[in-house]
Amino acid sequence: MSSLAAFSRVSTRRFKINFHLLGVRACGLATMGDGGAGKVTVQDVEKAAGRLAGHARETPVLTCGTLDALAGRKLFFKSENLQKSGSFKFRGAFNAISRLITSANQNPPPVVTHSSGNHACALALAAHQLGVTAHVVMPSTAPQCKKETVRGYGGNVIECVPTEQARVETMERIAQQEGAVYISSSQHPDVISGQGTMALELLRQVPDLDTVITPVGGGGMLAGVSLVMKALNPHIRVYGAEPELANDAATSLAQGKRCPLSYYPETIADGLRINMGPVAWPYIQEHVDDIICVTEDEIKNAMTLIWQRMKLVVEPSGVLGLAAVLSDSFKAREQEAKNVAIILSGGNLDLLKLPELLSL
Amino acid sequence: IERAAGTLSGHAVVTPVQTCETLDVLAGRKLFFKCENFQKSGSFKFRGAFNAVSELASGSGKSPHRPQIVTYSCGNFGCGLALAAKIQGATAHVVMPNNSAECKKQAVLSYGANLVLCERTPQGKATKLKQVQSETGAVLTSGGEHSDVMAGHGTMGLELLKQVPDLDAVIMPTSSGGMLAGVSTAIKSSRSEVRVFGAEPEMASATADSLRTGERRPLAEDPGSVADGLNGKLGALTWPYIRQNVDGVFTVSEDEIKNAMRLVWERMKLVVEPSGVVGVAAVLS
Repeated sequence: MSSLAAFSRVSTRRFKINFHLLGVRACGLATMGDGGAGKVTVQDVEKAAGRLAGHARETPVLTCGTLDALAGRKLFFKSENLQKSGSFKFRGAFNAISRLITSANQNPPPVVTHSSGNHACALALAAHQLGVTAHVVMPSTAPQCKKETVRGYGGNVIECVPTEQARVETMERIAQQEGAVYISSSQHPDVISGQGTMALELLRQVPDLDTVITPVGGGGMLAGVSLVMKALNPHIRVYGAEPELANDAATSLAQGKRCPLSYYPETIADGLRINMGPVAWPYIQEHVDDIICVTEDEIKNAMTLIWQRMKLVVEPSGVLGLAAVLSDSFKAREQEAKNVAIILSGGNLDLLKLPELLSL
Repeated sequence: IERAAGTLSGHAVVTPVQTCETLDVLAGRKLFFKCENFQKSGSFKFRGAFNAVSELASGSGKSPHRPQIVTYSCGNFGCGLALAAKIQGATAHVVMPNNSAECKKQAVLSYGANLVLCERTPQGKATKLKQVQSETGAVLTSGGEHSDVMAGHGTMGLELLKQVPDLDAVIMPTSSGGMLAGVSTAIKSSRSEVRVFGAEPEMASATADSLRTGERRPLAEDPGSVADGLNGKLGALTWPYIRQNVDGVFTVSEDEIKNAMRLVWERMKLVVEPSGVVGVAAVLS
């Protein structure tokens, strides 16, 4: 009996259904072939890089003299808005589905997730490219353009009422019905190692790198990037950047234990509203030097700078790193940071909303 | 053009070439986007401006005074010239129509140039240009009518030949013709089999009309296309190069320009101005 089939049945019947818990179970049972449910290592990330080669883009690192002057240091922008499907999420999704196919022998199962954002698009595109069916549960209130993008990439959209419970229950129903494997947007080890490939690229693309900063939502990117940086060059400082209004990761780091918010925060950085998850947390706790929080105005200011000076379409969640580097607290603390890599995580947004998102 | 490439080295950006599978599918061919929106001062005009200022500055090397340059520009050439002048220790005076985009006026000022606003009429432009020249002795450097500017712009052709090895066609927006003249010369000089095309708004189709009749045709005064950078006259200096080297000029409607803009912003995640996507619109037409 394939262990995958066992996983599908077991996960939907035996375990209490809970968004983050399901992610943990999915991770534990879906990690096969590399010693079971173990920690993600640099070797896993290097293997992920091999799988992504020729599929995910090695995105360019762009610079901007004006922003260097504002920041008082050299900034290197890893432009994941230019990644396939419009965000870095493609890396983790592609790696996770690739590994699923390898361990399935024949007839890989379909995949399922619930997301109204970048992971939905990334999973649909990665699945399409790998010849696997993707089912994406999306709340009925998700932007029409996102639903159309997922369909355009060949994904099957299943709408549900816009509550956390409905998303999870609908997803489980589909998983059971279709024998589909759940791929979490940030808590799956193969997703974390996929996101970590950005760090490998940065180490090649930016000589004398001393600092890296990434936005943090569920924590998959920060977990993957930080574990690689600290494994290969522990002198490099790694920071997360979060909206003050959604500061669960910063609070967790300060308290030494995971402190998820009990409500859904309102921030224009819509990709960062979810809590940092339990699988990403241990990596963040171990490897991240600090998490910097920024105001909504600082996010809008960073948006305006990137759109106007760098000519890049980046969504609000994606500019958190720049907002953090330009903040007074970063400038006060980080005298030594000379060569700072900032990951611009994605560029998927509704253009009609643009006037609200810029400080003009 | 090769000499200009040497002058620009270390100053102008060798801009990346981006690709987009969605647009390849829409176009039915492989597309390679040379991203001059990432160029210093936000457009390719910096190349020609920098080369022109450099030639001027080296020419007046014995003079103790800062070289003074004046131009008339609807925007991008003024910005490019302002920045090029600042880098090389020259003073730029930019005469700009008073209804130009605010961001273009601000950019010129932020680069330390002297901004002189004029009426958007031939008389308004001529009056102000003459005034600046007589007051400052500034040398007139046209964005379209200057061989050093054309040579600077032509460096994009050299880069493209290196960046896209199996290139078989190049297309670019055109108005006064400085880019089309320079790039077509660069491309045809080493690979004459590569086809070179211009792209224009239907509302401002002077180059297409000129190629069709074989004679340089005037443009209607202020054609009013959304592609605000392409409302200039096809220049007398650039026309011979275009007539000789260019295989054709495509025209596109205002809606096609807007559709292309939406595709580039939404699918490619690039901030490109309307004039900048006219080549994309043409390829999809």
